[in-house]
Amino acid sequence: MNIINRIRADFPALEQKMNGEQLIYLDSAATSQKPKSVLSLMEEMAGRTNANVHRAMYALSDKATELYETAREVVREFINAPARENIIFTSGTTASINLVADSFCRTFLKANDAIIIAADSHHSNIVPWQLAAQRAGAEIRVLPISTEPTQGRGFTAHLLIEELENLIDEKVKIVAVTHVSNITGLVNQVERVIEIAHRHNIPVVVDGAQGIVHQAVDVQKMGCDFYAFSAHKIYGATGAGVLYGKRELLEQMPPYMGGGDMVETVTYQKTTYAPLPLKFEAGTPNFIGAASLAPALEYAKWLKDGIVQSVDGESVSVCDVVEAEQKKITEYLTEALFNEVGDVQLYGFEKSTDASTGVKKELPLFTFNIKGANAGDLAQLLDKMGVAVRSGLMCAEPLLNSLGATGALRASFAPYNTLAEAKNFIACLRRAKQMVL
Amino acid sequence: MATIKDIQEQIVEEFAVFDNWMDKYQYIIDLGKALPVIEESSKTEENLIKGCQSRVWLSCKEKDGLLYFTADSDAIITKGIISLLIRVYDGHSADEILAAEPEFIEQIGLKANLSPTRANGLLSMIKQIKLYALAYSQKESGAQNKEPEIATEAKLYPADELQKNIVRALKQVYDPEISVNVYDLGLIYEIKITPPAGEAAGFEVFIKMTMTSPTCPLADDVIADVESAVSDVPGVKGVKIELVFEPAWDDSRMSEEAKLELGLL
Repeated sequence: MNIINRIRADFPALEQKMNGEQLIYLDSAATSQKPKSVLSLMEEMAGRTNANVHRAMYALSDKATELYETAREVVREFINAPARENIIFTSGTTASINLVADSFCRTFLKANDAIIIAADSHHSNIVPWQLAAQRAGAEIRVLPISTEPTQGRGFTAHLLIEELENLIDEKVKIVAVTHVSNITGLVNQVERVIEIAHRHNIPVVVDGAQGIVHQAVDVQKMGCDFYAFSAHKIYGATGAGVLYGKRELLEQMPPYMGGGDMVETVTYQKTTYAPLPLKFEAGTPNFIGAASLAPALEYAKWLKDGIVQSVDGESVSVCDVVEAEQKKITEYLTEALFNEVGDVQLYGFEKSTDASTGVKKELPLFTFNIKGANAGDLAQLLDKMGVAVRSGLMCAEPLLNSLGATGALRASFAPYNTLAEAKNFIACLRRAKQMVL
Repeated sequence: MATIKDIQEQIVEEFAVFDNWMDKYQYIIDLGKALPVIEESSKTEENLIKGCQSRVWLSCKEKDGLLYFTADSDAIITKGIISLLIRVYDGHSADEILAAEPEFIEQIGLKANLSPTRANGLLSMIKQIKLYALAYSQKESGAQNKEPEIATEAKLYPADELQKNIVRALKQVYDPEISVNVYDLGLIYEIKITPPAGEAAGFEVFIKMTMTSPTCPLADDVIADVESAVSDVPGVKGVKIELVFEPAWDDSRMSEEAKLELGLL
């Protein structure tokens, strides 16, 4: 069995039929499928090791707490955070960003201050900041993107980081950016954003919902003040996520929610709060979801550094095989979308001089339109052929609108996807296009 | 002229020819492509159907007592679906349209083969067609809704605006047992608006209302909701509510739209 097929065998969801056709799942940017190791941990915790964490004096609760806290350590190591105090479990990226937007801004954002957000943001890295700005009477400034059309093939859509310096003045209290855009699949050079912002002593929040999946994240090397991501996009359970925060900032921020588990002593008048990270984890957490991050990130790590024996008994790096397949998929799609499907507008790419298309993609995440075709129609027809792709605004309405689109189609690939699936997708897309045009 | 029933049977027969959904979709798409284009001027906000993910415009004209529909959509599958609906309902009287359910949808398996958002859109289109029919049938019969008696002693501006805003606020309060707001349900019997006396800063609003039944266990909640919704209307200073059960409520007090919502039409 080749290695990609071995990976596929770990994900039971892939082996099913939809509308009578073998499922081709190309929506991993929305949520990834889960490997067996994650599923069995979730079943074990729901069915056996089920006791509330951090509360009781009995062995079952200890076991559950251990699984929960082990996951915190796995997360810490995965993103190279200094300590467990930096890792706060939340319900997902959205909750992580809301936590910062609420708690940080309550302390540090005053009337007439400003927040900088990025034009390529997901709604979850826009709306929380708007709410915080409204509460404080502060303004929102937007770090723009390039919307340079390229040979009629779409738009480059890069974040114009060099504009940041012009947006910064003494009013700006925080900068929120996206590591990897869920629309363009482009990797933003967040290190440069952080470097510029830090020169002005402004903290930076990074939305890592897609970044954690596609990039090796070292928060200390990156230097970000906050990094937010979800478990379910990186093979874990839904409803769980992480906020990494620098300790000195987290210490100064008031609790986001009040409740059990986040307290030290409570009288009816006054409460002293538990130390980090529990200060920000009020109430019974989604301990199954959080604990799922341990096997999920271990799986992600295995995809990066695992070694397996090939059929000939040779040692093969999993990463090499996965990366080679992802590269093949990306190159094939970049070429095939323009040359085999045609009339495609692609949102977000690098310009390239050598390829026949003049377009280069780093990651296998393609958001596009076919001229004259409605994205919803195409998605509906693809679904009938077994292909699951996303259509619509992908929670990034301002970005798509600035690229002249009122909706688009997105195909996003994960390490369990194959070049054969990509080819099948193109064949189905061609058929759908012929049907609607 | 073929009846609505005949046309629906004809559509079901046509779809029976295809043995898979890709072919059925192709047929729907071809119908969409064949639908006469409508003038850009008809693509108004007013003609836009709410509840559809893709944009759908539907307009209706009456001639000699019969209704004629035109439509367009930016999605071709949606356009094909609405062309089927138009084929079924076009050129019939309002009463015929109101009496006929689009049974062909179930019979050709269309609803089950649409994504949930598009299936909702389909329901919105049918509702819109029926709403047009309803409007024409009411115009003909001169029927009147049982609107509450609204009295205002205020002659000054903001009374008119205020009245509208109070009705709007009441439409946000839902009966906990029936998914229709208290206003369209006909629970509001009287609204009386009294202008500020002297220097006082706001209007007094008196509301006479009922419940669907005198034994309604959630009456207090509904009254509290009404009170808070109306209090929040800018310009309102005080709200008084009187609960009466005379005359008793019955479903004839519901607005036509509420009846449609509940499937009573």
